[in-house]
Amino acid sequence: MILADFGTSYCKLQDLEQPGEEPRIIPTSKIDRKMRVTLATGHNGRRFTDHYVNELTALARGGESLIGKESYVLLDCGSRDIKFIQYEKGKLKDMGWNTECGASMGFTIELLERYYELDYNKMEVPDRTFSITCGVLGMSHIFDSITTGVSESEAVASFVKGIALNAYRFAGSPETLFLSGGLCANTLFVRSFPCKVITLGRFVLLKGLAETARQKGIKA
Amino acid sequence: MKQEPKVRNQGTETKAGIVGMPPLAVIRKLNEERATIFDLDEPIVKKNMEDALPFLPRVYCAVLRTVVLNAMNLDLDLIYIDVGAGKCDSALHVAAVLRHYLDIPVIETRNSDTHPFGTVVCRSKMDLLKKMELITGGVTKTKPPNSTLPACIPTAGFWGVPPRDFSLLTVFPKTTHIYGWTRCMENKTPADIKLESHYNSDIPTVFFAQSFCAKTALAKLLADKHPHGLFVDADVTAGSSAKAKIQAFLELSGVSV
Repeated sequence: MILADFGTSYCKLQDLEQPGEEPRIIPTSKIDRKMRVTLATGHNGRRFTDHYVNELTALARGGESLIGKESYVLLDCGSRDIKFIQYEKGKLKDMGWNTECGASMGFTIELLERYYELDYNKMEVPDRTFSITCGVLGMSHIFDSITTGVSESEAVASFVKGIALNAYRFAGSPETLFLSGGLCANTLFVRSFPCKVITLGRFVLLKGLAETARQKGIKA
Repeated sequence: MKQEPKVRNQGTETKAGIVGMPPLAVIRKLNEERATIFDLDEPIVKKNMEDALPFLPRVYCAVLRTVVLNAMNLDLDLIYIDVGAGKCDSALHVAAVLRHYLDIPVIETRNSDTHPFGTVVCRSKMDLLKKMELITGGVTKTKPPNSTLPACIPTAGFWGVPPRDFSLLTVFPKTTHIYGWTRCMENKTPADIKLESHYNSDIPTVFFAQSFCAKTALAKLLADKHPHGLFVDADVTAGSSAKAKIQAFLELSGVSV
């Protein structure tokens, strides 16, 4: 049984019949367009499967399975969008999916690292924060800042911190935040949140698909 | 400068545009005169929404932008536009815009009708989209759409105005009850804020408002007060994220769709 999270920049695939095997990460541009999988999620996922699972549902099911708490907030930061699920006393309390004003945050962060040849895992969280609601629009802050003599790395770090703060507010400013998505591996981003952050990695949606398959009795 | 309507009305029958819910007396009069009534809140003219830009800012309620697009392109003889508590303040300003650009009477009304016609359709078991069509279709009539539909036990709630894009309604189950201004519409009491604010706290409910509409404040407030509510807004079209959000909300709330 193959599960797949077809993201904007990367696709994550897991074969449940190969226990112990780590999910594979493949750039979306390299995906075989004729591929078929058992269950899929992600905004590119519908064309690859007969069992498509809504991304928020997959996130919630993955969170339920990994977090094991009655009350929590789980935020997923992807290339293209951000989404969150809030549970209180075992019941869905709130949710959000921002594809417009939160657009391209993850994508822009990755783009900037490559363009300026930076390593986010070696950068410090700056004092300064840019007020950012959108990855694309927020870039002008970086360029403006650099023209005033601020280093490229500090300007980008302020941008990343601004994105983290925006995502934190979007998720309802919780005291503790469970974080999923590729940005979990970006220590600058994770340390920029003004709250306790517990990272769950980038395979939470796959976990949610596995849980959905189990609940609905879907077989390969 | 006055805008010349795109197609001139060559016939003798009165073509009346209505915005919101003008008082029943107005609808009765138009029906007696055998006027053809166009509900300008609904997408009638198949034109790009950007064509409304010369008259209204881009960041504005999509329903009112639709009103302007219809009014500028239909060959109307007059427009009744409801303003005030039964509609919204923005309609008042849109009335001024229409009056400025069109060379036909644009008559403001303030609907304070209080006689309740009932909310049978809102509580029936039927596709939500079909229910919405029945209710919005009733705006040109002086009688309730159907009094024989049995009520069903609700499993979900939709609170709000009829959305600009009805495809948003396709993700709800047939057992969804309608609340908010749409319920007021069926009841023919559009200014009844008490009825508009009513919800059922026992069922998961989506509180919907058009983006940039003043009703977003009430929708958000009620969603916060409701023990199991979700606030959703959408602009011209219901994007996939709005639909997916509702779908996930219903699914994770245990609602069978």
